Amino acid sequence: MTYLGELPEWEEASNAEKMPQRDGAAVPAPEAGDGPAANGGEFAGAGEAPKFGAVSKPPSAPLVPSKTQAELEHKVTIRNLNFYYGESQALKNVSLPIYAKQVTAFIGPSGCGKSTLLRILNRMYDLYPNQRAEGEVLLDGVNILRREQDLNLLRARVGMVFQKPTPFPMTIHDNIAFGIKLYHKLPKSELRDRVESALKQAALWEEVKDKLHASGLSLSGGQQQRLCIARTVAIEPEVILLDEPCSALDPISTAKIEETIDELKQEYTIAIVTHNMQQAARVSDHTAFMYLGELIEFGDTAHLFTAPAKTQTQNYITGRFG
Amino acid sequence: MADGVAVDEVRLGQTEAHLARVFAGLKFRNALFHLLTLACAWAVLLLLGGVIVSLVIGALPSIRAFGAGFYTTEVWNPVTEKFGGMAPMYGTIVTSTIAMALAVPSAFGIAIFLTELCPFRLRRPIGIAIELLAGIPSIIFGIWGLFVFAPFLQEHVQPPLIALFANVPVLSTLFAGPPYGIGVLTAGIVLAIMVLPIITSISRDVFETVPDMLKEAAYGVGCTTWEVVRFVVIPYTRIGLLGGVMLGLGRALGETMAVTFVIGNAHRIKASLLAPGTTISATIANEFTEAVGDLYTSALIQLGLILFLITFIILAISRYMLMRMHIQEG
Amino acid sequence: MAIYDARRRRSKFFLGLCYVFVAVGLGWLALILGTLLIEGFRGLSPAVFTEMTPPPGAEGGLLNAIAGSLIMTAIGVIVGAPLGMLAGTYMAEYGRYSKLTVVVRFINDILLSAPSIVVGLFVYEVMVVSMGHFSALAGAMALAVIVLPVVVRTTEDMLLLVPHTLREAASALGMSRSIVIAKVAYRAARAGLITGVLLAIARISGETAPLLFTALNNQFFSADVFKPMASLPVVIFQFALSPYKEWQQLAWTGALLITLAVLALSITARALQTQRNAK
Repeated sequence: MTYLGELPEWEEASNAEKMPQRDGAAVPAPEAGDGPAANGGEFAGAGEAPKFGAVSKPPSAPLVPSKTQAELEHKVTIRNLNFYYGESQALKNVSLPIYAKQVTAFIGPSGCGKSTLLRILNRMYDLYPNQRAEGEVLLDGVNILRREQDLNLLRARVGMVFQKPTPFPMTIHDNIAFGIKLYHKLPKSELRDRVESALKQAALWEEVKDKLHASGLSLSGGQQQRLCIARTVAIEPEVILLDEPCSALDPISTAKIEETIDELKQEYTIAIVTHNMQQAARVSDHTAFMYLGELIEFGDTAHLFTAPAKTQTQNYITGRFG
Repeated sequence: MADGVAVDEVRLGQTEAHLARVFAGLKFRNALFHLLTLACAWAVLLLLGGVIVSLVIGALPSIRAFGAGFYTTEVWNPVTEKFGGMAPMYGTIVTSTIAMALAVPSAFGIAIFLTELCPFRLRRPIGIAIELLAGIPSIIFGIWGLFVFAPFLQEHVQPPLIALFANVPVLSTLFAGPPYGIGVLTAGIVLAIMVLPIITSISRDVFETVPDMLKEAAYGVGCTTWEVVRFVVIPYTRIGLLGGVMLGLGRALGETMAVTFVIGNAHRIKASLLAPGTTISATIANEFTEAVGDLYTSALIQLGLILFLITFIILAISRYMLMRMHIQEG
Repeated sequence: MAIYDARRRRSKFFLGLCYVFVAVGLGWLALILGTLLIEGFRGLSPAVFTEMTPPPGAEGGLLNAIAGSLIMTAIGVIVGAPLGMLAGTYMAEYGRYSKLTVVVRFINDILLSAPSIVVGLFVYEVMVVSMGHFSALAGAMALAVIVLPVVVRTTEDMLLLVPHTLREAASALGMSRSIVIAKVAYRAARAGLITGVLLAIARISGETAPLLFTALNNQFFSADVFKPMASLPVVIFQFALSPYKEWQQLAWTGALLITLAVLALSITARALQTQRNAK
């Protein structure tokens, strides 16, 4: 609570700019002595540039992204997106980019629309009547909301992991092979290799390599969720959507999955919805804060968590509401 | 003051005694009710026991007279008092097999339609309609079969069918003979229409238990709707589906009225599906009231016993399988 | 891409097959009901409700059959439903965790699906043989045996749905078990219990086989339960298999009446259930 009265001077992001640009030079690179431990987690006094100490990050993650936002490539661009459940509007004019091979987190209180937004990215809402989207969602420049978009092919490129682990009623091997077999005709040995590779990417291989023919349901919750991740990466998507993947898991499983996400982002573009702010801060490169269907603020994670531009964001992060 | 306390104490004592009596009364009522309900629960058990015992006793003369030969003889002669159950047993099994072969795929298809394909507004009405249809008495199907379906088959379907397969090796024997209209095949079809609503209803209930999230996960890897049904919905629900099928089979085996009208009541086993035959329940229904002589009646009761045992076994197996699969799934 | 096209085609094919099954399956049923309505209505007249079953070749009605059905159904339910409810009460309340309940549930399910003609044989052996003649009472008992498992099942299911909290609150007030059940649980499950009884009645309304050799049949009106009694299903059975046009017509009309009664009962039962759910 201390820094509320001592907001450092910061460039006020104008309303029109939903994606604050940040000049690389303005950010102090962390020095050896500087960092979470040095600051003791407290903000410096007014006038000083904030250290990235208010939020803890796993030591392996760089505190400064290697590229500036201006250099990052858009994998998905969301433009003027509106979404309706029947008569009620759930998303209001949302626009933001999702950068390639980066982790973008969506945070906000319940009902703010973050899961809704995620489920638009693979058009999962299409399964239900009375749900419709307006606007544009460009995947590599092509609008996936258009009628002619082939949904099955879209979902082959944009994979999803759900809130609760959802292993198929099959063996562990088949859970993963299933997706692969939808798209390729492979000899058994090659299939086996792909399954192994997927399980390794999900950090599950060591634990299940001896029981690939056990039922997927015989695994623990955390393992099941990693199985779902393996299943998703097995079909080699380009984007992976994670809808509160750790909400049903214990802290140890959560930590394992966060490690996995960290490694996955080298290959895939990742969008994660989470209720847990600390998780968002740990895991993501960029964060979008949403409230009541609107995008309030979007920016570099460290930036957003230590010195958010909007009061609302600040209030949410400090726990004043939500 | 002391008086007041004393009065209070007395009153208290009275109240306690009163309460004690009240509670004793309640306790007695409770014990009585407990006993009553327990007795009724036992009554259910005794009822089944009674059914089996009475059937066995009634069948005893026939069992003693014919022994194992009862199951291998086609002969059914009330005059010479020689009875064999092969024809009814054969008819029961064949009609039920035909019925299940026709009804099960249709039931699954309709259930899949209801859960995946049907416009949302129509789902409840159609679902309710099917449940209501499941309650229609079987005698309705019977008279419809007799007055409408059989004549129709006799005139328009069976002759072309016989002609079509006349020269095909196996099928010519299956579809041979004069077109009676009634017969084993007709009975099988009517039976199929009768058990269809029940199996459909159970299948649909079972399909609806699949969590949405699981189906979404399948769609999420890019499955087509059919693939979601085939690889996720059906495996997930196979226990319940099997249970529903077994239930339908049990109904089909024991069904009397839907079959009696159209089976033809001939105590013969013929290779052709178009020939008349008989089932256990049809035989009993048609002949019991006219059965003269203890042996005749006893033979009919033995048939009833066989039918009961077959249904019992089917049900027991299905419950056992359900138990096993539940354990396997962990 | 070839694999994907093949997958799409396969999906379209099988889903198309589902549509075919719907059309065929439901089409048959619609056809049958339609025929029933047409043929049944043709013979529907006040005479059906005022005259007795006629001898062959003559005109008449179904009065004795309708009356017989009503009488035997009533007796069957009066005997079978309370027994069923008490047994179901034991299974859901006193004996909820006992082994006896597990066994009874299993046995009950078997009785539920047992061929009804076997029930007829059982009652024949027990009542008709010992009484020496067919009787309406025997028919009613056969119906009671069919009602019993249905009511046991629905009673247990409905009582199990009553939340724990309700029972605990009543017990906490000091009520003994039987009162808790009678006043609290029954009342909470009331709609469901009535639904169960209605469904049982609907079930026995159309049962023919168990009556064939217990109550037999009676050409005349009879309210004597110790004598054979006519019933709609048995009359339909006899008339339909005969070569007489008038009898066949009455069979259709009788079938229509039974179907309407069954549908009315089922719809009422469902409406009660929906009402309960809406609460």
